[in-house]
Amino acid sequence: MDQQLELLLEIQDLRMQRRGLTDGTLTDLEAEVFDIKIEDAIRSLDEKVEELAQRLTRGIRERYRRIADKAPRVVAPVINGICYGCFVAVSTARASEADRNLRVESCEYCGCFLYHVG
Amino acid sequence: MQLREFFVPSAIKLDLAAETKDEALKELVSCMGLDGKSEGILYKMLKRRENLGSTGIGRGIAIPHCRSLVVTRLRVAFGRKLSGLDFKAIDEKPVRYVFLIVAPPLEVSNQYLPVLGRIAQFGKEADVPDLLAEISSPEQFIELLDAKDL
Repeated sequence: MDQQLELLLEIQDLRMQRRGLTDGTLTDLEAEVFDIKIEDAIRSLDEKVEELAQRLTRGIRERYRRIADKAPRVVAPVINGICYGCFVAVSTARASEADRNLRVESCEYCGCFLYHVG
Repeated sequence: MQLREFFVPSAIKLDLAAETKDEALKELVSCMGLDGKSEGILYKMLKRRENLGSTGIGRGIAIPHCRSLVVTRLRVAFGRKLSGLDFKAIDEKPVRYVFLIVAPPLEVSNQYLPVLGRIAQFGKEADVPDLLAEISSPEQFIELLDAKDL
């Protein structure tokens, strides 16, 4: 897997984790069952996301920031040829390439970085 | 929704080889049937969640959990280490039972939170630690979930 894509995946997963901490039900669970200090956790996740973002190459980081400013999802999974960022089929050639995930690609429709799952 | 629907025998380890928290996470992640790279990413995410605060909820039970793009559906695993693992749990006691929950960012049926909540509820029942100590097969683990109407 491309190392930049791997960084983007980590960033996306951390952003999801952060988003979860502002979701009522999960916030309650994390605070009550796991005794998490929500504000501290959010601050910690924000710092980690930024630290990882700094490790992206300049061009990818700029693209990442453009997407991240507008939408919660910066990386979309591609499952069975469908981009789950916009639910549009990505090009067959792209989806079937043997070297998928070996370079950073974006969805031509929604702009999300693409991660081929499975 | 029944918890038993999510557990498969191959992801129920009644005798974890792990000696540490990290090894236990790796061992349970390896039950998920992912490729090596995805396992690594998932392990890293679980570690990052643990860094926010231990998922050891006390009474010997831990519930590591996260969402990650590397899985396409909700997965759960159970691991038991009767000699105990240092999980930095809330009650500072060793963890003997580990329930791992991972889910994709997007779920059509949104099962992640209900499953996490039900396992947490299960873990808080007074007799559960003793019952988990007594089971001797994955099938008995499933039967225990059934008996608890989970």
